[in-house]
Amino acid sequence: MTPTVSASGLTLRYGGTVALDDVSLRLTEGVTGLLGPNGAGKTTLLRVLATAVPADRGAFTVLGHDPSTTAGRLDVRRALGYLPQTPGFHQDFSAFAFVDYVAILKELTDRGARHREVRRVLDAVDLSDVRSKRIKRLSGGMRQRVALAAALVGDPGFLVLDEPTVGLDPEQRMRFRELIAQAGEGRTVLLSTHQTEDVAMLCHRVIVMARGGVRFEGTPAELTARAAGRVWSSTERDPGARAGWRTGTGSFRNVGDPPEGADLLDPTLEDGYLLTLDGEPAEVAA
Amino acid sequence: MRAVTARVVRALLRPVSRTLPRRALAVGSALGLLLAGTPRLLSSPPDPWLCLSLLRAAALAFGLGLAFLLDDPARHTTAAVPTRRPVRVGLRVALVAPFAVVWWTAALLLVPGETRPPVGAVTLEAAAVAVLALAAAAVAVRCSDVAEPGVAVSAGLLLAVPAGALLLPERWELFVSVTDPRWDGAHDRWAGLLVVAAVLGACSVAEPRQRWRISSLAHR
Repeated sequence: MTPTVSASGLTLRYGGTVALDDVSLRLTEGVTGLLGPNGAGKTTLLRVLATAVPADRGAFTVLGHDPSTTAGRLDVRRALGYLPQTPGFHQDFSAFAFVDYVAILKELTDRGARHREVRRVLDAVDLSDVRSKRIKRLSGGMRQRVALAAALVGDPGFLVLDEPTVGLDPEQRMRFRELIAQAGEGRTVLLSTHQTEDVAMLCHRVIVMARGGVRFEGTPAELTARAAGRVWSSTERDPGARAGWRTGTGSFRNVGDPPEGADLLDPTLEDGYLLTLDGEPAEVAA
Repeated sequence: MRAVTARVVRALLRPVSRTLPRRALAVGSALGLLLAGTPRLLSSPPDPWLCLSLLRAAALAFGLGLAFLLDDPARHTTAAVPTRRPVRVGLRVALVAPFAVVWWTAALLLVPGETRPPVGAVTLEAAAVAVLALAAAAVAVRCSDVAEPGVAVSAGLLLAVPAGALLLPERWELFVSVTDPRWDGAHDRWAGLLVVAAVLGACSVAEPRQRWRISSLAHR
């Protein structure tokens, strides 16, 4: 599959901290998950790819556009939808007015066509009924959907989503998964998340980052396969395990290098993720 | 490209005018008018130095309101749109500029004519304070991830201006009286301050092609 986004050697430092360390990647159409512990560099990578912050070194292209020039950066932004980690709003705007405002900023200047597009994206995120309601009166999940609508307006070819399901209840998360899956049809979506189940359910590719670098790039099945033969059950926590926890049945699920004759279990994507981060401070959302 | 920008600016007029910090501007301008008009409330004949000081305080009050002009709660949500930052900031400034001119004219007219300081010179001072406030806000936005730097910038301005009045060495004095022989020299410095603030503000508003190193200090 032809890559729609290619990056090579992206490096960015904040003082003495290396936020991105020579990151190279290739994204194709569909949803790619970006996993990693806090401080891994996920948000920084997304901000660089969204042209919100320039990298110190390295280069990337989005849908053939090179953002290293002013004209190229504008072309990238015209092809881009960005949902930041903590989206902010003008609280007195209605959902419609806010998305309309973002649509103008995305250079949709024909009023009639723009309003049709705003109605389309609000409908896509299931907010048509509350489009006249002020944002400050909307729930957290609805606000997150307003931000997604703002990212989707203008039908961008590359969608950058930074932890869009944080703080949502299970039903809202499920709804958001549907929306992201729909968004991934016919466009490239890069989804940063702590939720390994989001990646397992949504993504055709997954990238694992730690300490500013890429530790894994492949399919969810390949990440899961990393834990094949390395997950086992025991009656007590195995001190040799990288991670272990008591399950609902009372037995322990251990991840790491099993002892001989261990009762091996089928691995999950989360197991593969934990083993990929071996030696890194991993955080996996429950 | 210019045609697109012009159409975008026209379409943005209404939503951007809704995002202006009306409360901060209203408080700053009301306080400024109150300060400028104080000499008219006094029973004794106003002192020219008092009138000049109150007019300067009025300009500072308005500047404190202006420090909120670049507050944008949607900053991160709109971080990657093709409409460039200078266009968006320029529009905000352009929308406030007529109001600022009317406000300053009113403030000048509130000062009794016989004690009103030279209008050109004191307008230069007010312009420098206003541009300094905007430049400080632009630098704060450029060097940090803060979406609404208004409170911090206005607090800094509120401290910096009196500190400047008290601590500047005599040869760099800015806050002199009309009769002071250093009046003309002080206004050369005010003009310099205005130019420096304008250049700094313009550089801060430009789209970042590379990060300013100070951003590492302010990074979350």
